Amino acid sequence: MSFMQEDIATTLYFDRTFNCEAAKISPGEYYYTDNDMLIVTVLGSCVSACIRDTKTGIGGMNHFMLPEGAGADKDSPVSESMRYGTYAMEVLINQLLRNGAKREHLEAKIFGGGNVLRSFTTNNVGDRNAAFVKKYLKEEGIRVTGEDLLDIYPRKVYYFPKTGKVLVKKLKQLNNYTLVKREQDYSSKLKTNEVAGDIDLF
Amino acid sequence: MADANTKFLVVDDFSTMRRIVRNLLKELGYSNVEEAEDGQNALNMLRSGDFDFVVSDWNMPNMDGLTMLQNIRADAKLSSLPVLMVTAEAKKENIIAAAQAKANGYIVKPFTSATLEEKLSKIFEKLEKGEA
Repeated sequence: MSFMQEDIATTLYFDRTFNCEAAKISPGEYYYTDNDMLIVTVLGSCVSACIRDTKTGIGGMNHFMLPEGAGADKDSPVSESMRYGTYAMEVLINQLLRNGAKREHLEAKIFGGGNVLRSFTTNNVGDRNAAFVKKYLKEEGIRVTGEDLLDIYPRKVYYFPKTGKVLVKKLKQLNNYTLVKREQDYSSKLKTNEVAGDIDLF
Repeated sequence: MADANTKFLVVDDFSTMRRIVRNLLKELGYSNVEEAEDGQNALNMLRSGDFDFVVSDWNMPNMDGLTMLQNIRADAKLSSLPVLMVTAEAKKENIIAAAQAKANGYIVKPFTSATLEEKLSKIFEKLEKGEA
């Protein structure tokens, strides 16, 4: 039995620049809040959907990439890869709905999908991630009110769910390879862990 | 392998996930599939239709999957209908609650088509033996 579950981010800190509580999320994590706080992440080829209820201001952000699925069917709607992406979106949206958000009031802003990993560019990992998140939201009827996708630079995204405001900083000079390393680790973790949960009780 | 005409109801509030389950069932040879977007909608369809099998999500607006399952078990006409839960809820409490409500199986998302196939064949096997 092996799991590749999305986890709630646990890195909370006080952000001095914005003078508020902040949650920092890493690949494979998500965070949601009803409070007036900041959610921050750094994206390479991964994507983040920032989703909020425009009436109540509860909102959250995820951070994921599609696993590099096996062979020719990786873009088929039922591939392991697509099922993982669907799951990563659903986990965040379910938390918002469970905490009072209404589906018809949801709006999304989407970021990332940069082709930043040199070894990945041939596979267009960023393109696939960006295309997935756009298609998903369209099919689920969730309005996209802002996006900054693709290109070749990593991005730092600051999201204020209460107001829906987003600040994006393109990191044109990446001083170290922490980000690249982190995404590669995440990607290989997705590959080595079978993307499935299995519980047998019956 | 059960009858290819087995009539499935797939219950999920995300159309993307309904389509995934529907396509997986099709790959497994079951093409008689209908969809419902929440538990209440599903119960109405089950009461007026001739469904053989339910594959349901847990978290849904209006009526969640567990409440729907409890309603199915309490309904004289539907009480023996097989129900497979496919959900992102992996907590022990959830799984115990589903078992207590007499779900026939439980799959945690994200899942593989092999897992779905295995669970379905286990359930069909038990049904044939009259254990479920």
